[in-house]
Amino acid sequence: MADRPSILARTWTTPVILIVILGVLQLAALAVGSGPFNQTIIEIFIRVVLVVGLFVFIGNSGVISFGHIGFTCLGAYMTAWLTMLPAIKKSKLKGLPDIILDNKLAYGWGLLAAVIFAGLAAYAAGKVLMRLSGIAASIATFAVLAVIIQVYSNWDSVTGAQSSVVGIPIVRVVWPYFLCAIAVVLVAYAHQISRSGLALRAARDEATAASASGVNIPRERLIAFTISGGIMGLGGALFAHSVGVVTPDTFYLGLTFITLSMLVVGGMNSLSGAVLGVVILSIIIQLLRWMEKGVDIGGASFALPLGVQEIAIGVVMIVILMYRPSGLTKNRELVWPSNKLSGWGKPKAPADGKTV
Amino acid sequence: MSLLSVENISVRYGQLTALRKASIKVEEGETLFVTGPNGAGKSTLLKAIAGVVSPREGFIQFAGRPIAGKPPEDIARLGFSMVPEGREVFGGLTIEENLRLGTGMRADKDQTAKDLEQVYAVFPMLKDRKDQQAGVLSGGQQQMLVIGRALMAGPRLIAIDEPSLGLAPKVIDDVYATLIRLRDSRGLTLLIVEQSATRASLTGGRMVLMRSGEVALEGDARELVRGEALRQAYFGYGEH
Amino acid sequence: MTALLQVLFDALSLGSLYALGALGIALIFGVMRLVNFAHGDYIAFCVFAMLWPSIDAAAIVFAGNLPTVILVPFILAVGAGLSVLSEIVVFRRFRNANPATMMIASFALGFVIKYFLLMLYSSRPKSIDLWSSLTRQIEIAGARIPPLQAITIGVTIVILVTLTVFLKRTRFGLEMRAAAENFTMARMLGVRANRVIMLAFAVSGMLAAAVGLILVTQTGTVDINMGANLMLVAFVATVIGGLGSLPGAVLAGYLIGAATVIMQVVLPPDARPFRDAFVYGAVIVMLIWRPNGLFASKAAKQRV
Repeated sequence: MADRPSILARTWTTPVILIVILGVLQLAALAVGSGPFNQTIIEIFIRVVLVVGLFVFIGNSGVISFGHIGFTCLGAYMTAWLTMLPAIKKSKLKGLPDIILDNKLAYGWGLLAAVIFAGLAAYAAGKVLMRLSGIAASIATFAVLAVIIQVYSNWDSVTGAQSSVVGIPIVRVVWPYFLCAIAVVLVAYAHQISRSGLALRAARDEATAASASGVNIPRERLIAFTISGGIMGLGGALFAHSVGVVTPDTFYLGLTFITLSMLVVGGMNSLSGAVLGVVILSIIIQLLRWMEKGVDIGGASFALPLGVQEIAIGVVMIVILMYRPSGLTKNRELVWPSNKLSGWGKPKAPADGKTV
Repeated sequence: MSLLSVENISVRYGQLTALRKASIKVEEGETLFVTGPNGAGKSTLLKAIAGVVSPREGFIQFAGRPIAGKPPEDIARLGFSMVPEGREVFGGLTIEENLRLGTGMRADKDQTAKDLEQVYAVFPMLKDRKDQQAGVLSGGQQQMLVIGRALMAGPRLIAIDEPSLGLAPKVIDDVYATLIRLRDSRGLTLLIVEQSATRASLTGGRMVLMRSGEVALEGDARELVRGEALRQAYFGYGEH
Repeated sequence: MTALLQVLFDALSLGSLYALGALGIALIFGVMRLVNFAHGDYIAFCVFAMLWPSIDAAAIVFAGNLPTVILVPFILAVGAGLSVLSEIVVFRRFRNANPATMMIASFALGFVIKYFLLMLYSSRPKSIDLWSSLTRQIEIAGARIPPLQAITIGVTIVILVTLTVFLKRTRFGLEMRAAAENFTMARMLGVRANRVIMLAFAVSGMLAAAVGLILVTQTGTVDINMGANLMLVAFVATVIGGLGSLPGAVLAGYLIGAATVIMQVVLPPDARPFRDAFVYGAVIVMLIWRPNGLFASKAAKQRV
């Protein structure tokens, strides 16, 4: 294993490039300045947080998790509980502890609490789950999601059950989302080049060899799971503050699918893939949304029927999986200058000895 | 024309080259042993012929047809019957179901029934337990079963990967005795991967020696074992 | 006694649905290691095939008006057709892909099917009156049981027996069982991969159709998400049953059905809304205890 300074020297350009990409979006928001456009940029930053959060666990460990959006749900409700006006809480969410009912915190504290709460929940869940691997692990993470969503959809006095929780303070400026996205990219990068991250990636590629050379796979997985759970919680809290409303349904299969698609499309095993996947799919989604609303072409208004957006995303994803199973980035990282590209993230050479 | 001819095939797993321009020929009715140290590419050679891995270059012809890159079932249907390493019995199927599995591609139902009786005659143990699950058989019995299963496919050639792997010496003797009996009574063509050159020389036939994915030596099994060339080829020139 | 009978019937009929769903998923997993997330959307698709495409709130019944003897085979054929089509168009190209890639591809396919239905029929649930007389309750030994429950249980038994005979007594069945255990070896014995896989998809699609018919009769509503919950439970059942084991999937389906019904009865009223959370919690515990499932097949164990 190479020593840390040399890894840093070879790879530091990756987070810088990614932050520059995000910075361009932020600048665009500043330049355009219109509400709807800002909202679109905010959505992209939130998705970056969520997908990078997924990447920290899925990308580094190679275990597909269907449960992460559950932690997003935890984060969203946590910030809602802390930042809503006491009057609203007292009428709708009577079951909350008094100290929460009587107080109202700034959204910054809400975000922090969301990260900690979701991180702790991920730690607790991971403690149990990380002994599993493969499909059993995937199904178990899904069961975690189901437990969380079932509890939040039915715990009337604390979550308002299936009805929406409204009245969460809305944050309309873009920069807090931008800063969070940057922070998350940096955290993911730091984890990736840490001893634990490297060990986990080694275990993903060569499980037997890694565990033979002393890598404690469940422990490294747990670390990644906890960090990624915290990030997902942050994403949920940001989501709550971007729209001001949460319902448990928001955090179920639909969001799970969209975020997973973005990760897969970009390249599951690379941080650059996570960020690029979000940017590219977001652009496609935005174009399709725009066309669903209707476009005037030569005086005739023409609109795509509802549902085409999702169908198109599904088809794009299947096609990418067919022809580029390792994503648009081929699981490699963006580095500068680009001829150093082979330096890390080591893509596996495709095997031509097909196994049937 | 040879029943099977493999010309200059190469196979890679990722960055690892398992076969490097390997060529062999098997004539109708003969027995060819493929021997060599671990990692020499013996199993890969059989897998490439059987269609389980596809070679990146080279040419394979069986029963007059080019087969490189064809799916395994098409190659089996030409009469290439494979007994892979580790035997691979279907543990959840009964013994008779295991035997019947390979007969799906045969049109000659009468002969199939006769073959089943013959297999049972050669391996009476299988008949006694025909309705039991194959998973309960011992290693040696499983080896008999997979040989029987390969016969039931009505093959023109049976390829066996390491028939002695994991078996007791006495059982290995039995397996080879049976193979020799079958070869002599039915005129079977055999292609056997066997790590022990001595075993090959006892059985008789032609032998190729593989090293590092290449065919290093070729000749009559008995003569090769008697001579010095085999040992040299096995351990490599100039390395010791 | 009566209460017990009621619980038994509830458990068996719910378990039957889960078992049929789990079987549909386990069949495909067996032959190609694919965890097919689109299965739930096959279920919805089959049910929607009874309606004429329209985004109005009221359902326009179309094929649903056919006499039962034609309707049932028609819907089964729709299920089989859709399933086989998805294999030819999508899954065939993923034969050599790793299970995670296939799983996500199936997720995407399910998404496409669902939004295709949304495009044609809108996302509003619609009501449809199919064999509704079967849901009127009758009394058997004091327990109030809708005939549909008895029919569900009966039909499931018939399906299971038919499938068992098919798997045990026919050439196709033999090849499918062998393929599920060791596909490569089966192919080396001349078993045709495409044929076996297409057949598995066809059977799986028919099972989805059967589940759809039972569901829609029970609830009287058609909804693009109607298959989702059942599919999720079915999944869990296939894992608990030991991936690749067909009897395991069926048993686990019944087990989850029973657990759900029993929790409904024994949980204190306050906790009842969280019934499903308890069921999924139990699933996690079970996976930790037995990662390969309760009835892991020998073949699956060897592979792990």
